[in-house]
Amino acid sequence: MKNILLELKDISFVNDKNLILNKINFKINSGDKIALLGKSGSGKTTLISILNGTIKPTKGEVKYFNKKYKELDLNQKQKITTIWQDLRLIEGLSAEQNVNCGLLGKKSFYFAFKNLLNICSFKRAHKYMQLCKIPQSIYSKEINKLSGGEKQRVAIARSLIQESEILLADEPFNNLDPKLITLIKNLLLTHENKNNIKTPSTGLISLHRLDLLDGFNRVLGIKDGEIFFNLDRIKLKKSHLDKIY
Amino acid sequence: MRKLKLNHTSISFLPILVCIPLAYQILTNLHFGGFELFREFIISAFNPEINNEIIITVVKRLNQTLLIALFSWLISIIFGVIFGILSSNIFYKIFNIPIFFYRIIKFFLTIIRSIHEIIWGLVLMQIYGINFSIGIIAICIPYIAVNSKVFAEQLETIEDESFDAINQIHGPKFSSFLTLIWNRIVNTLKNFGLYRLECAIRSTVMLGLFGIGGIGTSIFLSFQTLNFRELWTYLWSLAILIILSREIIKKIKFKNLNKNISIFLTAVFFTTILLTFSYFLYFIFNSSFVDFYSINSLFKSSSDLVFLDFLKLIIDTIILSLLSTAIAISLPPFVIGIFNNNTSRILIRLLAFLLRLIPPPVLILTLLTFNNPSLSLAALTLGLHNAGITSKLLFTNLDSQDKRNYIAMKSLGTSEKTSWLLGLFSQQAKSYLAYCTYRSDIIIRETAIVGVIGSVGLGWQLQESLSSFAWQEVITVLIAYSSIAIFGELINGKIKTSLT
Repeated sequence: MKNILLELKDISFVNDKNLILNKINFKINSGDKIALLGKSGSGKTTLISILNGTIKPTKGEVKYFNKKYKELDLNQKQKITTIWQDLRLIEGLSAEQNVNCGLLGKKSFYFAFKNLLNICSFKRAHKYMQLCKIPQSIYSKEINKLSGGEKQRVAIARSLIQESEILLADEPFNNLDPKLITLIKNLLLTHENKNNIKTPSTGLISLHRLDLLDGFNRVLGIKDGEIFFNLDRIKLKKSHLDKIY
Repeated sequence: MRKLKLNHTSISFLPILVCIPLAYQILTNLHFGGFELFREFIISAFNPEINNEIIITVVKRLNQTLLIALFSWLISIIFGVIFGILSSNIFYKIFNIPIFFYRIIKFFLTIIRSIHEIIWGLVLMQIYGINFSIGIIAICIPYIAVNSKVFAEQLETIEDESFDAINQIHGPKFSSFLTLIWNRIVNTLKNFGLYRLECAIRSTVMLGLFGIGGIGTSIFLSFQTLNFRELWTYLWSLAILIILSREIIKKIKFKNLNKNISIFLTAVFFTTILLTFSYFLYFIFNSSFVDFYSINSLFKSSSDLVFLDFLKLIIDTIILSLLSTAIAISLPPFVIGIFNNNTSRILIRLLAFLLRLIPPPVLILTLLTFNNPSLSLAALTLGLHNAGITSKLLFTNLDSQDKRNYIAMKSLGTSEKTSWLLGLFSQQAKSYLAYCTYRSDIIIRETAIVGVIGSVGLGWQLQESLSSFAWQEVITVLIAYSSIAIFGELINGKIKTSLT
C-alpha cells in the first residue's frame, strides 16, 4: 500500500463571497508526480496555497502525514517546499543570498544574520544554482537586476536547497527557454539523493503546456474550483482535456 | 455653468491666495525704525567677520554642535529602528503577539512625536537645568518617534506574499523576520536615516538658540548684540558644516560591505544601545533637579489661563499652521513657474538654501526689525523656512524627471511657462502634495518655535508658563499642542493615503 503524504477531504474555499474551490478531494502518495492542469483562474494557485498550509480552507480537512497542519512539528513542515508562481524572492538581496534563504529552516539565526551581511558561506547555494544552470556571473547580482528566466531559476534553486520531500510548484516553467524547461522538469521530477544533492521524491506541479506531461504519473484537471478528473497520465484522453479547457 | 474641478496641479497653486491677507496685515504693521538694521543684516552676509578669535570660537562651537547632533542622530536612528520594528504590524504577525501591544506602542510614539524637540528642550531645561545631555535627550525623544514612524511605514509595505514565502521555509522566527525586514531597514537608513543627520544639526542649532550651547547659542548672542557680521560668520560656517555632512553622507554605501565593516557597524549598533541604556539610568538616578522636586509640583502650581484666552491661543496655533503650510506648498511652484529661466532658478535655489539655513527664530527676529509681531509675520517666517525645504525637494524631483512631455509641448510652440507647468510640474504635483502633507505634520510642531519668539499662539504661552514655573499651565499647553499635532497628523494621513 502506498504511503499517503497529503490528503484533501471535501475542501472548499470562499474568498469575498466567491467560491474559489468546491469540495475538492484527492490524495498525494509518496513518489507521486502529479501534473495539475486547468485554465487561468481555475483555482490552481489557491489549491497549492491550501496544500502548503498558507491559507486555511473555509470547509473541509487537510491531512499532512496523517496529521492536521497545526499538529505538525517544524521538521514535518519543512518536508514541504513551494515554488510560487510570482516567485516571491526577497528584493535587495543577491541571487545567492536568496538561494541561501532556503536554508533558514535548517540553520540558526546567526546564519540568517551572516547571510544578510553577505559574509556567510555560499557553497551549498552555489551547488544548487549550478544544478539549475544559473550562470556564475550572476551569483552575486541583486535579484531585481536579473532577467525573468534567471529569477525563475533562483526561485527553483531556493526551493530545492530546502531538500524537502514534497514539492509544490505553481507554473515553474514560466520564462524558461525550451532547453531549460526540459532540464528543470527533469530536475523536479527525478528524485536524486547523492553527492550531497537531494531533490524531492514527490511533487505536484501546475502547468499549462500539455507537451510537458511526460514524466508525470498522474494528472489532475481542475475547472472553476472543481476537480474534473484525477487519473493516471496514460489514461488521459482528449475528451478529458476538452472538459477543462 | 460648468463646475470648478480641482486637480493636483491647481491644488498646489491655490494656497498661494493666503498671501493676500498676509501681505495686507504685514504691510499695515510695517514700521521703518529697523530698516537700517535690516540693511546691515543683509550687507553683513557678504562681509562676515573673519579673525583668529572668531575662527577659534567657530571651530569650538561647531564641535559642540556636531557632538550633540551626532549622538542624537545615532541614538535616534538605532532606537528609531527598534521602535519602528515594534510598531510595525509584521512583527506582531510573525511572532503571534496580540495586536493590543502594537496599538499601545503606536499611541505612545504618536504622543511623544507630537511635541517638538524645542518644547522638549525647554521643558527639560526647566526641570534639569542646562547641559549637553538635555540637548541630546530633547532631540532624541521626538526623533526616535519620528524615525520609528518612517521605519514602521516601510515595514508595513512588506507584501503578504513575501511573508508567506519566507514563513513557508519554517526557519526560526527571528531568522525569517530579519530576512523579511532587512532590505527595507537598509533602504530606509540609506534614503531617510542619513538625511536625519542634517535635521539633527538644524535641531541642535535651534536648541542652541535657547541656550543649550553650540553654534546656535553664538548665533543668538550675536543677534542680541546686533553684531551681524559675526552672526553671518556663524551662519556661513553652519552652511559649510551642513554641506560637508551631506557630501560625506552621499559617499556612504550600505551595499556589499566587507566583513570588517559589517562587524564594526554591528558593534556600533549594540554598543550604542548599551551605552544609551547605561546613561539613561545614570541620568535618571544622578540628575540634579532644578526647581522641580516631585510630580506634586504639577498639581500644586496655579493656573491663570482663562478658557477663552486659551481657546484663542489654540485657534491662533491652528491658523498659524494652516497659513504656513499654504505658503510652504504653493510658494515654490509659483516662484519657479513664474521665474522660469536658468539664472532665476540658480537664484531661487540660493534663496531656498538661505531660508533653510537661517533658523526660523533668527528669521523672525530679522523680520521684526521692520514689522510688528503678528500672526501673519509668524506664518510668513515658518512658511518661508519650510518653502526652502519643499523647494529643494521639488527641484530635485524636477531635475530627475522624464522631460519628454515638456520637450514635446515646447516643440508644439507652447510657451516656456506653460510647457513647464503642463509638461513637467503636473506630473510631479501628486507626489509633491503627498510630501507636503508630511511637511505639514512638521509645520504644526514647528509653530512652537516661532510662537516662542513671535508672541503668537501656544508657543508664546508655553514660554511664559515655563518662565513662571506654572507647571499646571505647562501641562495644559502641552496637552493642547499634542492634541493639535495628533489631530493634524490624522487628517494629513488621510490626505496622504488618498494621494498615494
